[in-house]
Amino acid sequence: MGTFIQQIINGLSLGSVYALIAVGYSLVYSILLFSNFAHGGFLVIGGYICYYTLNLMGTNIWVAGFAALVGAGFCAVLTERLAYKPIRERTSVTLYLLIASMGMSIVIENIFVIVAGGRFRALPPVIPTTPVDLFGLATTSAFDLLSLVAAVVFLGGLQLFLTRTKWGLAIRAAAYDLRVAGLMGVNVGRLISIVFFVAGLLAAVGGIFLSVRYTLYPQLGMITIKAFVAAVIGGLGSLPGAVVGSLILGLAEMLTAGFLSSQLRDLVVFSLLVITLIVRPSGLFGKDIKEKV
Amino acid sequence: MSNYTEGILILLMINGIAAMGVSLLTGFTGIFTLGHAAYLAIGSYTTAILTLDYGFHWLPAVILGGLLAMIVGYLVGLPTLKLMGDYYAIASIGLAESIRLIIENWQSVTNGARGIPGIDTFTTLPITAGFFVVMAYGAFCLINGRIGRAFKACRDDHVAASLLGFNTPRYRVLSLSISAFYVGIAGGLYAGFISFIQPIMFDMLKSTEMTSVVVFGGLGSMSGALLGTTIITLVTELFRPISQYRMLIYGLVLVLVMVFRPEGLLGRHEVGPALFRKLTRRVTPAPGERGPL
Repeated sequence: MGTFIQQIINGLSLGSVYALIAVGYSLVYSILLFSNFAHGGFLVIGGYICYYTLNLMGTNIWVAGFAALVGAGFCAVLTERLAYKPIRERTSVTLYLLIASMGMSIVIENIFVIVAGGRFRALPPVIPTTPVDLFGLATTSAFDLLSLVAAVVFLGGLQLFLTRTKWGLAIRAAAYDLRVAGLMGVNVGRLISIVFFVAGLLAAVGGIFLSVRYTLYPQLGMITIKAFVAAVIGGLGSLPGAVVGSLILGLAEMLTAGFLSSQLRDLVVFSLLVITLIVRPSGLFGKDIKEKV
Repeated sequence: MSNYTEGILILLMINGIAAMGVSLLTGFTGIFTLGHAAYLAIGSYTTAILTLDYGFHWLPAVILGGLLAMIVGYLVGLPTLKLMGDYYAIASIGLAESIRLIIENWQSVTNGARGIPGIDTFTTLPITAGFFVVMAYGAFCLINGRIGRAFKACRDDHVAASLLGFNTPRYRVLSLSISAFYVGIAGGLYAGFISFIQPIMFDMLKSTEMTSVVVFGGLGSMSGALLGTTIITLVTELFRPISQYRMLIYGLVLVLVMVFRPEGLLGRHEVGPALFRKLTRRVTPAPGERGPL
């Protein structure tokens, strides 16, 4: 029983990190209707900024974390301006954006391979990983609880931003129909920049927690595949769906690792994806896809 | 002819067969794939296991490898290709990773991560050339025939295509199956060429490479895909000394092609008399050759 509760907590903690990544990815999808594969790159950028600020400048985690979030946010905006904007303005074929994002993902990953080297780096012990006793039921690491709390705080913040601010309203309108939102006087260019900034920021939070959980290396961005799968399970473009999908995925992964075998966890993840696509093709919370001619 | 030149020619033709497969799916049917290394793996493992453990002749082994890849492609396509959007792109990554994990963990049959050494090197230049000519003839007949036109209709406007009575999901699944068959055959020949295969050869980088050459050559042009493969394979050989920059260059090529020439090198043209006439002609096009307006 103790192991079970422990694995549930681990799963929720991992799932919450996936949720941070999946929500940003889903937000971009809901506006521009393409899979931004460079999203994993934003996560790696955040991780490396945090690592170098901590090591070279010797700042505390709050400053380094802030720098990582803002830096990754700006890199995301820059990526959009350089690679996606020229395509988006010329055609409406989302396949081109998808391919460009795949290219950007390779570019970002290999810039880090060349500049920082491919080796695995451990972040300095800035986030406590001491064991915590949970009401005598189970022992878990403080890190797991912290990442859960951080995810709740940031996702709550995103929810407030989307529901209580003017730009939040504009983003929700654009998710419904970008062109009509533009016709109603929303500055579409700035709106897309804001969306990318938010996505990069959330990815960086996930990146910092992932580089503490595993280590930091250029291919860490590959882990976003799990977040993409979570977003598809929840329904592409739906934010609550992305959160629920991520939690399901985190739980499934940790329970498989705890009770079956840790080699099977990725297989379980992808079988979940296939089963979802067969049973409920548009995901748990996906919009029913009906196209207007 | 030296051994080295012969090796490069064989590799060119194997890559060409795989590129035709990817081109059929991504270029002609408009479905972006990031998991075609899985079909390559199925083809090469089937060939290796059938020739080594069951004493098959190489010819039926290669063809059975292609057929098995085709069946897997069909089964994968059924749930994922009913939907438009990026569902297949994400599912294809998941599928490719699952197949790689299955191969890695199915010790008794596939020898796990250590790979299968000592495969009979049956892939000589005449044999590869034979396969290449037959497969290329098939591909060009296919894209110019009834089925090929249906694929293009699905790509250009799937709503209009379905209103004209095409069962678009069925054509998408058919396109994936044929594409998987091509890649599976290429995989079988590849196993016979390098005589040693390992699961790590068929990771996501390989999938990305396979798709990027097709994008580079031209989405919607069979000869463009072949031209792209030839250029990229030769450039890779030339730049072997700076191989750490190889993936960075791939990524940049993808982004730059999408930004400046999204239709790729050849666009939708095929190399042949028609393209030559188009390049040399100066007068306005004949009425029948004008665009849709």
